[in-house]
Amino acid sequence: MMSDSIVKRNEFLGESYTKISHKSGLTVYVFPKKLTTAFALFGTKYGSIDNKFRIKGENEITEVPNGIAHFLEHKLFDNEDGSDTFSRYAETGANANAFTSFEKTAYLFSCTENFEESLEILLDFVTKPYFTEKSVQKEQGIIGQEIKMGEDNPARVLFFNMLEAMYEKHPVKISIAGTVDSIAKIDAELLYKCYNTFYNLNNMVLCVCGDVEVESVLKVCDKILKKAPASEIERIFDEESDNVLKPRITAKMQVAKPLFDIGIKDNKISDEPSERLRKAAGMAVLNEMLFSKSSKIFNELYNEGLISNTLEYCYSISESFAFNELSGEANDPEIVYKRIFDYIREKQRIGLDKEEYERCKKVIYADFIKTFDNTEEIAYELMSYIFEGCDLFDYADAVMGLSFEYVNELLGCMFDEEFFAMSTLFPV
Amino acid sequence: MMLKKFNITDGVTLNVIPTDKFKTNYLSFNFVQYLDRKSASQNALILQVLLRGTEKHKDIASIKTALDELYAASIESKVFKRGEYQVCGITASWLADRYSIDGTKITDGTISMLEELLFEPYTEDGIFSKDYVQSEKNDLIDDIRALINNKNSYAVTRCKEEMCRGEAFGISEYGDEESVKKITAEELFNAYKRFLETSRIEIFYVGSGDVDELCNRIEKMFVGKKREYKQPQKTVVKYGVSEVRNVTEKISAAQGKLSLGFRTGCVVGDEDYSAFPVFVEMYGNSPVSKLFMNVREKLSLCYYCRAIPDGVKGIMVVASGIEVSNKETAQNEILAQLENVKQGKITDEELILAKKSLKNAYNELNDSPPALEGWYLTRCLSGLDDTHEEVCERFMNVTKNDVINVARKLQLDTVYFLEGTLKGEGESDDE
Repeated sequence: MMSDSIVKRNEFLGESYTKISHKSGLTVYVFPKKLTTAFALFGTKYGSIDNKFRIKGENEITEVPNGIAHFLEHKLFDNEDGSDTFSRYAETGANANAFTSFEKTAYLFSCTENFEESLEILLDFVTKPYFTEKSVQKEQGIIGQEIKMGEDNPARVLFFNMLEAMYEKHPVKISIAGTVDSIAKIDAELLYKCYNTFYNLNNMVLCVCGDVEVESVLKVCDKILKKAPASEIERIFDEESDNVLKPRITAKMQVAKPLFDIGIKDNKISDEPSERLRKAAGMAVLNEMLFSKSSKIFNELYNEGLISNTLEYCYSISESFAFNELSGEANDPEIVYKRIFDYIREKQRIGLDKEEYERCKKVIYADFIKTFDNTEEIAYELMSYIFEGCDLFDYADAVMGLSFEYVNELLGCMFDEEFFAMSTLFPV
Repeated sequence: MMLKKFNITDGVTLNVIPTDKFKTNYLSFNFVQYLDRKSASQNALILQVLLRGTEKHKDIASIKTALDELYAASIESKVFKRGEYQVCGITASWLADRYSIDGTKITDGTISMLEELLFEPYTEDGIFSKDYVQSEKNDLIDDIRALINNKNSYAVTRCKEEMCRGEAFGISEYGDEESVKKITAEELFNAYKRFLETSRIEIFYVGSGDVDELCNRIEKMFVGKKREYKQPQKTVVKYGVSEVRNVTEKISAAQGKLSLGFRTGCVVGDEDYSAFPVFVEMYGNSPVSKLFMNVREKLSLCYYCRAIPDGVKGIMVVASGIEVSNKETAQNEILAQLENVKQGKITDEELILAKKSLKNAYNELNDSPPALEGWYLTRCLSGLDDTHEEVCERFMNVTKNDVINVARKLQLDTVYFLEGTLKGEGESDDE
C-alpha cells in the first residue's frame, strides 16, 4: 500500500478507527461499526468565515461575496455531462446531502447497500467542479428562498443577532447563506477561484463509519482521486477586540413569547489544539454545573415563572472564535439576564462544589460515550475533531484529565461583564 | 429483526426488540387515547406534571441529580398523534451497565426512576401540587402558542386542522389553550387516575439484557393497579371531497408557505396500500421526486417542496416555502405533477429509484430505537403484526399500475396559504 496508516483505539469504549494518509493528499478515516447503515462524510476545511484569503503566489488579498461557500456546495451537485448527482445516488439507493457551516463544507451519504458505488459517486462529483453562468443564475432563486426561510426562523435570527452584538469584525457574524444581494454577486469564475483554493485534497478529509473495510474505502480512493498539488492557504482574519461590540440587539418577529440568547465572548483562544480541547471539556462541565436542570438558577427561574422549561447552554471553540451561549424563552429577558449575571458573581465568590463537579464530569463523559451508537454521529464527531487539529478519542481523555482547580479558574475568568451581549426577539 | 410481544395485563403490551449492538438501552411507555378536546389537554398536561416530582424526588433538581448519577440517563415526555389517537409517551434511555465505572446499576436505577415518575407522583393533600399544575399549565400554553415560531410546521399543521375541522383529527395533540386554562389540580389528578386505568399502553424496549427479567419487572408495576380498559374506537377515514376549500392567513414573515391538503383514499392495512409509500417517494419525498425536480430544480420556485403523508388518517400535505407572488405558479405545478402520475407519465426508472430509496429508509430503521418504536407503534395501533422487512418486501413488488391507481384516488381538499407580508430583508432594529 502506498499510504501510511495508524490505528487509534479506546479500550473502554471498545472502539477503534484507522487513519490513513492517502497518496493523493487526502486523509481518510475509517471507523468500523457493526450497524446496518454506513455513513460517509467528505469535507473541506472551508466555511462561511473563509471570505478573505491570499492565494499562493499572489500579493493581493482576495475577498469574496458572503454566502459563497454555501453557494458552491449547492453548485457542486451539477455535472459536466448534464447529469444530476442526486439521480446518480438514487441508482445506489443512498440517501445523500451536504451542508455548510462556519468552518467546513461537507458532502455526505448514508446507505445500507452498494457502499462502494455510492462512495465512488461522492468522491467523483466533489472533485469535478462544473459551473456555468446559467446554472449559477438558476441557483440564485432556490437559495434566495432558503435565505428567506432563514429570515423567518426566529431561532436563527436570534442567534445571528447575538453574534452581531458580540463581534465587530469576525466573519462568524455573517449569515452562512449570505443575503439575496450578496449572492447576486456570485459568478462561475468566483466559484472556481474558491474551489481551487479550498477543495485541495490536502485541505480535505474523508470520514467513513459503518460495517466497512479499510481496503474497500482505499480501493475507491485509489480509483477516483488524483494527487493534489501542495496546498498553502492563508486565511485572513482582522483583529477582534476581547469585549463585545454592543451589549444588546433587539428585534421583533412573529413569535409567541420573547426569546433571549446571551452570548459570552471568549477571545483568549490558544493556538494549541490540545489546550482548546481542554477548555472545551472544562466549559462543558462548568456549564453543566452552572445551568443544567439540577442547578439552582434554572430551578429558581423556572419555579418563579421567569423562564419556560428550557435553558439551553453551549460553549463553542475553534481556531479563530469562541463563545459561551445561554438561551431560552422569557417574558422579561432583562430580569433573567440580571439574575443569571448575579448568580455567576455569587458562584465566583463562594466557589464551586466538589461533589457537584464530580457528578457533572460524569454526565459529560456519559454523553460522550452515547454518541458511539450512530454511524452518522460518529462520522460528524470525527470530522469536527480532525479539523480542530485533534482526535476524537482525545476528548474522553480531556474530560477525565480535568481538574477541579482548572474548572474553578474558568469560572473566574470567563464571565467578565464586558464579554456579555444579549440578543432578544419580541412578538410583533 | 425480532419483535417479541408480551401481554402484561388488559390493554397493556410489552414489545421487545432484543439487541446488544447499542451502548444504550431504550424503554418507553406510550399511553394511547382516542382524541377528544378536553382530555387531550389534560393528558398532555399530566405528562408534564409527572416529570415535576415524585414522592421520593420532589422536584426537578432532585430528579435530574439522580439521573446524573445514573450516567446521564435521560427521561423525557413526548405527545403526538397517530391517526385519531393521541399518544402520550415517556421515554427513557441509558447507558448499558458495562459502562459503569463505579458499580452503579444504571439499568435498574433508570427503570425504577421511570416507575416512580409514572406511578408515584409528588402530591399535596392527596392531589397534584397546585404550584406544579399552574406552572405546567403556563408552560403548555406557551408550547401551544409557540407553534407559530416554526412557520414550516405551522403551515402544515394549520392545513390539517382546516381540512379536518369537525373531525377528531382536527384536535391538536396538546389540546387547546381554553381547555388548558380551565384545568384544576384536583381535576387533573382524577384525570391521571383514569389515564392509567383506561389508556391502551404500548411499552417498547430496544436493548440488551434478560427479556424475562424485564417482563417480570414490568408486570410487577401493574400488580394491584386497577384497569378499566376499553378498546378505543378506530380512526375515521373520510373519502371523497365535495368542494376544495381555500384558506389564507396573513403573517409577518418574508416568505409564503403553501400547503395543499389531500384525501388519499387509502390507509395502512388496505390491500392496495403498499403502492402508496412508493407513490409518495416518487411524487414528493426525495431529491429525484417529481416535486423536487420540477418545482425546485426546473422552476427555481422554492428551496423545499415535499409530500408529507399520514397513512393512518388517509391524508397527505404537500408543503413548500415560496415567494408570495409565485403562489399560483407553484400550486399549478404541484397539481400538474400529480396529474402526470395519475395519467401514467412515470418511467420504469422512476419506479425503481423510488423503491430503492424506500428500501434504504426501511433498512435504516434498524439503527434507531426511536424510529423502530415509531414504526411498530403505528402497525400495532392499526392491528397489524407484520415486520418492517415484510412490508418492505411488498413495496418491491409494486407495479407502475399500482402506483397510478393509488394516485388516482387522491383528491385535493384544502389549499392553505400562509401569506408573508414583509417586504425586503426582514425587520431588525438595532438598539
